[in-house]
This record gives sequence, C-alpha cells and structure tokens, in this order.
Amino acid sequence: MSISALYLHIPFCHAKCAYCDFDSRGLRGSALERALADYVPRLIDRIDAFGCAGALRFVDTVYIGGGTPTVLGWALADIVARVRSWCDPVEVTCEANPESFDGSLADALACAGVTRISLGVQSLDDTELVGIGRLHTSARALEALRCARDAGFDVSCDLMCGLPGQTRASWRETLQRLIAERPCHVSVYPLTLEEGTPLARRAEREPALVPSEDFQADCMEESERQLVCAGFHRYEVASYAQPGHACRHNLAYWTGRGYLGIGRSSAGMVDRACADRLAGLFPGLAGRLEAEPDAARVRFVQRDDAAERFDFECLTEREAVAEDLMLGMRLSRGVAAVDLEHATHLCGSHAVDEAVRASRDLGLARWVDEDGGARCLAPTERGWLLGNELYGIFWGLADPS
Amino acid sequence: MNTQDTSHIRNFSIVAHIDHGKSTISDRILELTHTVEERDMASQLLDSMDIERERGITIKSNAVRVMYQADDGDTYQFNLIDTPGHVDFTYEVSRSLAACEGAVLVVDATQGVEAQTVSNANLAMNANLDIVPAINKIDLPSAHPEEVKTEIEDELAIPADDAVCVSGKTGEGIHDLLEAIVYLISPPKGDAAAPLKALILDSYFDEYRGVVATVRIFDGAIKKGDQLTMMQAGQSFLVDGVGVKRPAEVLLDELTVGEVGFVVTGLKDPAAVRVGDTLTYRDRPCDEALPGYREAKPMVYTGIFPIDNKDYENLRDALEKLRVNDPSLVWSPETSVALGFGFRVGFLGLLHMEVVKERLEREFDLDLIATSPSVDYHVYKTDGEMICVRSPQDLPDVTRIDHIEEPYLKAKIIVPPAYTGAVMQLAIEHRAMMTDMIHLSEKSVEMRFDIPLAELILDFFDQLKSRTKGYASLDYEFADYRASELVKLDILLSGDEVDALSFIVHKDKAYPLARGLCDKLKEIIPRQQFEVPIQGAIGNKIIARSTVKAVRKDVLAKCYGGDISRKRKLLEKQKEGKKRMKAVGSVEVPQEAFLAILKVDK
Repeated sequence: MSISALYLHIPFCHAKCAYCDFDSRGLRGSALERALADYVPRLIDRIDAFGCAGALRFVDTVYIGGGTPTVLGWALADIVARVRSWCDPVEVTCEANPESFDGSLADALACAGVTRISLGVQSLDDTELVGIGRLHTSARALEALRCARDAGFDVSCDLMCGLPGQTRASWRETLQRLIAERPCHVSVYPLTLEEGTPLARRAEREPALVPSEDFQADCMEESERQLVCAGFHRYEVASYAQPGHACRHNLAYWTGRGYLGIGRSSAGMVDRACADRLAGLFPGLAGRLEAEPDAARVRFVQRDDAAERFDFECLTEREAVAEDLMLGMRLSRGVAAVDLEHATHLCGSHAVDEAVRASRDLGLARWVDEDGGARCLAPTERGWLLGNELYGIFWGLADPS
Repeated sequence: MNTQDTSHIRNFSIVAHIDHGKSTISDRILELTHTVEERDMASQLLDSMDIERERGITIKSNAVRVMYQADDGDTYQFNLIDTPGHVDFTYEVSRSLAACEGAVLVVDATQGVEAQTVSNANLAMNANLDIVPAINKIDLPSAHPEEVKTEIEDELAIPADDAVCVSGKTGEGIHDLLEAIVYLISPPKGDAAAPLKALILDSYFDEYRGVVATVRIFDGAIKKGDQLTMMQAGQSFLVDGVGVKRPAEVLLDELTVGEVGFVVTGLKDPAAVRVGDTLTYRDRPCDEALPGYREAKPMVYTGIFPIDNKDYENLRDALEKLRVNDPSLVWSPETSVALGFGFRVGFLGLLHMEVVKERLEREFDLDLIATSPSVDYHVYKTDGEMICVRSPQDLPDVTRIDHIEEPYLKAKIIVPPAYTGAVMQLAIEHRAMMTDMIHLSEKSVEMRFDIPLAELILDFFDQLKSRTKGYASLDYEFADYRASELVKLDILLSGDEVDALSFIVHKDKAYPLARGLCDKLKEIIPRQQFEVPIQGAIGNKIIARSTVKAVRKDVLAKCYGGDISRKRKLLEKQKEGKKRMKAVGSVEVPQEAFLAILKVDK
C-alpha cells in the first residue's frame, strides 16, 4: 500500500469555538507569531523527512486542517510549496475560517497550488454564530466564499445543525442562502456536546442547549432535500457534492487507503509493510511492531509538536477488514458484495451474513446495483440517521466472540 | 469487683438523630476508658461493614464492653450496645433495646431536638429505659445548650436537669457523661443462681468457631462446657467459650447475670441461632422464654436475576456466602421468560434488599436485576386448595381463583399531634384502618393501624418520614391474613407481556398505578430503533398506555482528520452501555426498569 493522502494539522486558532474539543490553541498577535515560529519549521522538517524517505511520492491529495490553517497567512503558501516539491497532488484542500480569509490570501494560496478551500461557515444566522463563539458574521462568511470562488477554488462549506437557538426556519434559510452562492461541496454536521467544552458546561446549567436528536434528524433530512434539489449528490453521511467535486481526500479515509498525518494530534494509517518501512520516523513503532506480529494495519496519532511521542494502535487483519466495512457504510455506495465475500474468509461467513441480515432487518441498509453492475450493500435513509447502529454492526465483526 | 454483684454493671445504647454525633461520642467513650488507644482509632469503630460506614447506618447489632473507674473509686462495667437504625430492622432494634436498662439520648447543641430524636426517645421510653440526655457539640460557637435543655423537657417530656453537656470532638464533658451513666441508669437485676435466661441479640458466623451469638444474661451464668438449649429453636449445643468484645475479642471464664457478651456455639448452621431466642440450661431450664420473640420471617420477596445468564451459578454461590452472616436471607429458584434463571429472595424489607443486592454486585462482581417486590399471598383456589404465592408469575388463572388473602400488620405510629392529619391521609392512601388513637402526652400521640404489608413495604416509611418531617416513629408486627380484592397487573412491551414486570395490586389502585408505571417506564427505557408501546393490562384488558418514541438520529458524522479510532471508541462505549441492559424480546431494558414500581410518582 502506498500513501495516497497527506494530512497536515495546524493546531492554532484566533479563538476556540465554544463547542470545539479538538486540539487547537486560541492565540493572537505576538503570542501566535511565536508559537508559529516554533511550530512551522518542525512541520516542514517532518514533511522533508517523509519526502526523503520516499513516503510522499504517490500522494495525490493533501488536506491542511486545524485549528484554523488560515491564521498562518502567507506562510501557508510556503508549506504548500514545500509539499509540492515532493509530490504532485491533484487535490490540495485548505481549511479556512471567514475572519482570516480574504482575496489576497486566496490568490497567494491559488498560486502556491491549493485547489480547494473548505470554509467553516457553520450557520448564516448571526445570533447562532455568536452562540457558538464564532468570530465572524454571516456577511463575512459569504464574502470569504466569494473570494475563494473568484480565486478559482473548488469551494466547500461546513454547516452545523442543532445549534443553540436554531429553528427549522433558520436552518432552511441558512441552506437556501448558502446554495444560492453555488459552493460545489457542502458538509453538514450535527452539533455534539463534547465533555469539557464551554458549550457543554453551559448546557449543564441550561438543558435547552442540549441539541435535540429529533431536531437534528429533521435538519439532516431538510439538508438532503434542499441540496439534492440543487444538484448535489450525497456521497457520504455528512458530505454533499456537485458532480465531480467529491472530496478525494476524505474518500481515502473511508476506503481504507493509506494516509499520513503530520503535526500535533494528526492521525495517520498505513499497512504493515509501510509501517515497517517507516518505523524509523516514529519513535517507539519498531518495538511495538515486534511485539505485535499480527498487526496488519497501524494507526498513529502524533502527541507533541516535535514528533517524538505517538500513540499507536495495531489492528489485526480481521479488525482492518471490519473497520473498512464499518467505514464503507458511511458512503452512499456502501460496501461491494465482493468485499463482503472477502470478509467472510476472516470473520466467518455466518458472522458476515448475520451482520448483513441485521442491517437489512433493521432497515439500515439495502442491496443496490451500481451503474457498473457491481452489487453493493448501501445505507438507507434510516441508515444515514442511525449510522452508529449500522457502523456498530459491522465493527462488531472484529470481535471473534 | 464481685461479678455476681450486678450493681456495677450498666447496659445501655446511644441513640441520636443522624449527624448529631452518636459515633464520635462512642469513640470518645472507648478512648477515655482506655478501651482503645488513640492511635488505633478508626472513626465509627462499631460499624464494621463497608456499606454500614458508607451509608452511615448500622445494620447489625454490636456490643462492646468498657471498664470505667468512676469518681467513687469503684470500677464499673459498661456494655455499650449499638443498634440498627432502620425500620426494616425494627425487630432487631427492639431486641437490642430489650438488652439495655438505659439509653444515652444525644442531641446536637446547635440543632436541638429533631425528628429522629423524638422517634428514638419514643422507642427508648417504650422499652422502659432510663434516659440520659447528652447535649453534644458544645464546642461550636453556635451551640445553645440551655435552649436545647428546654426543648428536651418541652418536646420529649424528659427531665433535663441531669442533661450532660459534651463535645465528642474535644472530649469535653465525656467524663461527666460516664458519671451520669453510673448514677442515672439502673443496674440490671437478676439471680445468678437461678436457671439461665439469656437473650440472643445478634449472631455472626466464624469460619473456625461456627456461630457466635451475642447475648444478654438475665438470670444465671454461662461458662465453657455448659450444655445449653435455645428455647424457641429447640436446638442444644455445648458452649465452646464465652467472652466479650473490647472491641477485640477477649475470652472469659464466665459470663454472668446482667452481663452482655458472646457465646461460641460451635453450630455450623447460621440459621439455627435466631435473634430474640432465649438461651437456658439444657438440664435445668428456666420456666419460660423471654417475651417478644418473633421468627425472623422475610417480609418481602423479589426476583434477583443475573443480567448475563452465565452468572446464575455465581449468583447462587454468592447468596450462600452472604447467608452465613445473614441468616434471615432465604431464596428459591425462579424462572422468568424475560429474565431467564434467577432466584426469588426473601428480605426483611427494602433497605435489606438494597443492601444485599449492593453487596452481591460489589463483593461478587455481578450485574443483577431485581424485580418488583411482593409479599407472601395466600391464594384460595376454586378447588379448595390454598397456595402461597410470592411471585406474580405464580398466580393461577383468574378463573381458578376463589379469593386471595394478604398479610396485614398492626402498626404503631407515634407522632406530635400536629401531624395526625398527615398520617391519617397517608393511611387512607395505603388502605390502612385506624384502630386506636392514644394521647401519650401533650407532645405525642400514638396511632394504631391495621395495614396491608404490601402497602407498608413499598414506600410507606419514607412517605411517613417525609410527611411528618421525620417526627414519626413506626413499629409494627404481623397481625393476620385478610381477604382483599387483588388483581395481577401485567406490563406489555411492544405487545408482549413481560412476566418480570407484573405486579399484584389492589383493584382500586390498579388504574392509577398502571398509568404511573407506564409513564415511569417511558422515562426509563431509552429510545430504540423502533417505537416501543408500553401497556398496562389486567387480564386481556388494556388499562394504560404510553410509548417510547423510536430514536431518529444516532450518528457521529464529524471526522477529525482521519482519527477513526476516536469514532470506533464511541461505538464500543455504546456497546458497553447495552451490556448493562437486558434484551427482552427486541427491546433493550435497563436494570432499573424492573424496579420502576418503587419510583412511580404518587
């Protein structure tokens, strides 16, 4: 397996949003500059290290996420240029927040070879934006969107449903106003209250802030209606794209392809052979691999800025197969019959049949014939909404008992 | 000191409202009399079980001997008898108090007389004990001992001239308290030469020595080698040894009249030695047994089932082990369509049930489901046969029942006059009939009721305490069986009857209870893949209904930069949560649903 996807993590924001528990520090001004001056060279060194090891040669998608990568400003262009010196990706996405994105940065990024901007819009209702601690207004978000479009990027927008104060009407309006701006990709995420976040603490005092699952279900259904009507195709539980604009990088995650993560808190996944080859770049990995001869797949998460500490997770071949089935069920295509057949060799045909039967009996999945004629087990409408149940059934195949 | 002379013995217990400092005073007494050196003190020395310490309640009785050198130069033997503190153990309390001549009534100097002060004082006065009031926590700036004295006189009708002011914290006044115990509590009476008459207060099992009984001697004496008989149980044994707890066990040559101590029986069956039984010489018995003995009969039965059926054998082993120190525990196998194999277990009351279930789960690492409590019904069938029914599942078909009788209790409630109305109201709600009302004093009224046991076990005591702001004290004894119009209330989940949720109830209460239960179950049962109708039914007739709506959305859509592990962990956590639930048909039911009956809003 070669590495086809590269993720770079920028763990800084101008301010952390109230719902966010992802690794990011909210910094501004000179504090931010000092932090970046420390962080960016290490990131570049790490890119070079992988490049020298030949690990980036076949990378065809790059995703720069955060945090808020655009807090780097023009330095972002340098990073992209450095990556491009090692590979020739067809898709380079950069996450951006409206308050730190404008026309000149857009042009610079386009010049450096960024092809796609993923914009954190979240909502087009200003009260809702304030409620979750966003630093921008809806007007600023739309302006950023136009800048990105004008610079020639594929533009994707993230939206969130179940926000404090959000109503069916406000959600519909957010969707309609966004669709009118013609982004080519939209992601819809239901808000989750993560332990320890300011929003979760507030919700303890104000139970009305706890998002209603029913309301979120309504919002998810409304999104599908509106977006499909506007020509989008739902190719993943949370992702909608105009034809030809699905995010190739995210698809790599769902289809079991190898990916590398660089930067603090970034995650990567490689197969055994690749892990053996790259063990020298991950302190502690060689010993771990020796102790786990059955490991067929390794996932790692970088725990520090200096890339000296990592968490490793080793999966057996059986677990890797179950994980691929679980992730495949996130896609509208689902899982091909041949892949299920392949899984029977490792998980037993009885267990696989049971999983297929359970998912169909519960109305979570159904058999469909793809255009090419391949038979696939694909999620139903219900399977989208009750994803955890569906994914749990297939991840359950990892457990021999 | 001449041990035949009882004038230097004082047998007493310490009673108090919760947190008024009973335990600290006990500890200080042990310390001041050098029974326990300061460095060995662990607080609440007398409560030995973990659960007792955690809940701050005493479940088992305990007796510690303390030697006190008084100001008059003589040495006195104090036997400090700790008593259980809950209505489930009302019989055990009565036996412990029967072993005392006096009680120290502890009142907090900052709080004054409170509800349990009143109910405890009533219990002690009913047992004809000499009462020594002790006003505690006088070290606190907000202490007002003089006002508390007035309260004790006004509200309890106990003379407070002799009340002792103490601080369990600093030890101040403890010496005065010990002197007061000497002067205010009567020495025990009795005849050392008469045939043995001794009361069994408690017993526990020792792996090496068999059953060890805690006793109070009213006449005669016990020494190693004596042949004794338990008058109620009829069983005899050879005394293997006698001694006292100080609080470590100390063996003695003899326990004699007026004293409290332990007797090693050598018996291997814990159930052979019963609280309240009378010990006497096998060959020279006393004329009659001590009064007040009751067979420790379980009052309430519940089904106990392992969530994982594989744990059935482990559960039985665990019950066997617990029974060694809790002979009141009885059980028989029970099978439920919904829950599989388990046991129908008899308990003294609901607190007893909770404590046993908690010990089973904690000490033996079991996940258990307890089902709705039931009493022992007498069902008369149309063919003339009478059967005992302890589980709703065992109730014959309605067409084969002639009538059902249920156990009734005689309950005695003592309350301040202001609360008689509240108690009457509660009684009406619980099908109780008042039989008598006696004005004991200006401050207290005794109300007597006949009440079905089934009504008393559910929440009567908690309700009584809350509606009388804790002032009521309750004592009860079995009366008789009486015919009642009882019906079996069934609960259906998704249209299927769940046997473990059935409940026997008076027909007048069936409708509101069915509604309450359906609503409560709706709260407890989580939303599932499909809508779950909950129905309450009597026979084929549906009398109540609620619905758990189907879950519509359960998906974590956001992916953090390919960190799939994080998603998988969430799925695994959800799976763990399901393990704690019981699949009944296609419905995942949480443990607590099976006890929902106890949580129905009144």
